[in-house]
Amino acid sequence: MTPDTLFQYVPTPATLVKKEKLSDFVTLFTFQPDSGRALMHKPGQFIMLSMYGVGEAPFSVSSPPNASGSTFELAVRRIGNVTNAMHAMKVGQKVGIRGPYGTSFPVQDFVGKDTIFVAGGLGYIPLRSLLHYQLRHRDEFGRIIVMIGCRNPSERIFIDQIKELEARDDVEVYETVDCGDESWCGNVGLITSLLPHVEIDPDITHVAMVGPPVMYKFVIKQCQARGISRENIYVSLERHMKCGIGKCGHCQINGLNACVEGPVFKYHDIQTHPEAI
Amino acid sequence: MTSYTVYMDQLPGLLELWAKEFQVHVPVEVEEGIYDFVPWRKDEEIAWEYDVAYNTLKRFFLPPRETLLRFDPAACTAEVVCEAPKQLLFGVHPYDVKAANQLDTLMRKDVPDNNFIARKKNTVIFALEPAAVARNAFWASVDAHKVDNGYDLYWTRISSASFHVEVATRRGKELLLAGGPLDLATDADKEATRRAHQRIVKESLRNGLKYPWRETADILSRAWDSTLWQHRARHCFSCGTCNLVCPTCYCFDMKEELDNSLTKGERYREWDGCMMDSFSRVAGDHNFRPHTRERFRHRYYRKGKYIFDKIGQLGCVGCGRCVSGCTSGIADPKAVFNELWEADRHDS
Ligand SMILES: Cc1cc2nc3c(=O)[nH]c(=O)nc-3n(C[C@H](O)[C@H](O)[C@H](O)COP(=O)(O)OP(=O)(O)OC[C@H]3O[C@@H](n4cnc5c(N)ncnc54)[C@H](O)[C@@H]3O)c2cc1C
Ligand code: SF4
Ligand code: SF4
Ligand code: FES
Repeated sequence: MTPDTLFQYVPTPATLVKKEKLSDFVTLFTFQPDSGRALMHKPGQFIMLSMYGVGEAPFSVSSPPNASGSTFELAVRRIGNVTNAMHAMKVGQKVGIRGPYGTSFPVQDFVGKDTIFVAGGLGYIPLRSLLHYQLRHRDEFGRIIVMIGCRNPSERIFIDQIKELEARDDVEVYETVDCGDESWCGNVGLITSLLPHVEIDPDITHVAMVGPPVMYKFVIKQCQARGISRENIYVSLERHMKCGIGKCGHCQINGLNACVEGPVFKYHDIQTHPEAI
Repeated sequence: MTSYTVYMDQLPGLLELWAKEFQVHVPVEVEEGIYDFVPWRKDEEIAWEYDVAYNTLKRFFLPPRETLLRFDPAACTAEVVCEAPKQLLFGVHPYDVKAANQLDTLMRKDVPDNNFIARKKNTVIFALEPAAVARNAFWASVDAHKVDNGYDLYWTRISSASFHVEVATRRGKELLLAGGPLDLATDADKEATRRAHQRIVKESLRNGLKYPWRETADILSRAWDSTLWQHRARHCFSCGTCNLVCPTCYCFDMKEELDNSLTKGERYREWDGCMMDSFSRVAGDHNFRPHTRERFRHRYYRKGKYIFDKIGQLGCVGCGRCVSGCTSGIADPKAVFNELWEADRHDS
C-alpha cells in the first residue's frame, strides 16, 4: 500500500528551493520533496499543499513530469490565507504536500497531432506542464499553437518564457489582452479574437484549454465552428476543493467529482452536464 | 440464520456486560415526543417505541468535528490521527442502518477514507424493527424498510416482555450469548416477527413516493429546468439544516487550529452543507451555485440521481428528518419527487 492509501489526509514534507516573481500577484515556487522522490505527476494533475497553521489548498503542477531531478514547480496567485502565507515563505522553508491527484491531459492522444493551447489568465499555469512536455519531445508532435489572453498587461505571467517561445520557429504564439495600456503594443481583445487568425486542419487538431469560468463556452463554440470534434477538446475545470479524493463534495459538477473525475475533462464527456461549462 | 428469544429481564445483565467493552448508546425520550441516542446508563429507560432519533447516527462514524492530523508548524511534520472508539449502537432502525451502509460504500470508493472506515469497523450495530413511524417518514416507499447487511443483530419486539433476535454476524452472536445460553426462537416467535414487520411496513407505506423509487433518477434527468426549484427555493434560508440532519449527507470542510503557544496544531474536518452559500465558491469570488434554487436542486439531484448513478441506490432513506428540520417547510424529498413525477407524467 502506498502512503496515500494508508493515510489519505497526511501530507509529506517538501522544501522550497527557489522562488521567482512572475507578476505583482503571481510567484513561481520550486519545491523539492524531502523524500527525494519525484512527484510522478502527469500534465494537468494537481497537489494539495499545506501551510501548517493556515490551511491546505489545491494547486496545479506547472512543471512537466520529472523535468529536472525530483523538483516540481507551482505558480501561485496571492489571493487569500494559504496563498499569502506561501508568498511570505523563504527559500529553505518547508510545506506539506499530498497527491498528485485527478485526471491529466492524455499525452499519448496528442502524439502526431496539432495542439492548440488556449490559456486564459492563470490557465497558462497548468497548461505549461503539457506544453513543456511537448517541447521536450518536440518530434513526436505536430504544430504547437499557443493562445494566451489576460485581462491587462500587468497580469501577464511567464513573460520571458513566452518571448522565448515566440522566437522559436516550431511554435506559434498568439497573445492578447482585454484592455491594453501604453506599455502594450500587441493585440487587444478577448481570447476569442485570436483563433480566427489561425489556419488549422480540424481533423488533426487537439485543443487544451484552461481559463476563467466564463471563457470556456465561447472558445468551445468557436472551436466547434472551425470543425474541431468535441472528442478532441480538453478542458481543465477549477472548483472548490477540500479533500482531493472524492469525499468532501465541494468540487461537484453535477454528479462528477472534479478532483477525481477531473480536473481535466474531454468536452465530449461533460457537454451534457449543465454545471460544467 | 439462527435466532433467539430474549426476555426483557435478561437485558440489564447483557447491557452491563456490553458496556464493559463498548460505549453503548441507546434511544431514549429526551423531551416529550423527541428521541435521541444517548450513552447508556444503568436504569436508563430505553425508548423501544421511538419513531425517529432526532440526530442522525452518522455522527458515530463521521463526527461533526473530527481531528485528522496533528502537526508541528515549525518542523513541518504531521502525524495521522485515527480515533475509533469501540461503540455499540443498540436500537438502530433499518433506514438508518441503510444510510450507514451507503456512507460506508461511498467512503470506500476510489481512495478509501480510513478514518471513517476505522470508526465504522469498531461500531457494533444492533438493529431494531421500528414500532412507530415518524410523521414525516416515508422509508418503506424508498426501500429502506429492510437491510441485509451492516448490522450484527436484528431485534424485534414481539411482546411486552420479549424480543426475537436474529443473528447476522459472529460478533453479534458472541455478544448476545455473552451472559450464557438463550432460548432458540420458536416458530411462533418467528411468525410474530414477520407480522410486526408487515404491520410497520404497511404503516410506513401510507406516506411516501407515489411511484417506484427506482424511477427517480430517470424523472430527474428531465427535471433540470422545472419551475419547482425556483418555486420552493424562494423560501430557503440557506441554513443547511437539511444537510446536517440527513443521515446520507456527508460533505465536509477542512479546517485547522493552532494551540496558544503556536507550536502545535491540528487539522480537522467539520460537517458542511451544499445548501450553504459558500460551499462551491472559488478564488476570484466565482460561485458555481450562487442561488438558492441551484443549491436546492443540487441537493435533490444528489439524493435522487447522482448517488444512484454511482452506486445504484437512492441517496435518501426516507427518515423524514429534513422535513421536520426545515423551518421553511420546503425540504421534503417525497413531495419534491412526487411533484416532479406528476409533472413528468403529464408531459409525456
Ligand atoms: C485543481 C485546482 C488547481 C489550482 N491550481 C492553481 C494554481 O496553479 N495556481 C493558483 O494560484 N491557484 C490555483 N488554484 C486555486 C487555488 O486553489 C485557490 O486560489 C486557493 O485555494 C486559495 O486559497 P487561499 O487560502 O489563499 O484563499 P482563501 O483565504 O481560502 O480564500 C480566497 C478565495 O479562494 C476560494 N477558495 C478557498 N479554498 C479553495 C479551494 N480549496 N479551492 C478553490 N478555491 C478556494 C475561497 O472561496 C475564496 O474565494 C487551483 C484550484 C484548483 C481547484
Ligand atoms: S433546511 Fe430548509 S431553509 Fe434550511 S437550507 Fe434546507 S431547504 Fe433551505
Ligand atoms: S433527504 Fe431527508 S428524508 Fe432523505 S435521508 Fe436525508 S434527511 Fe432523511
Ligand atoms: S475535493 Fe473533496 S470531493 Fe473533490
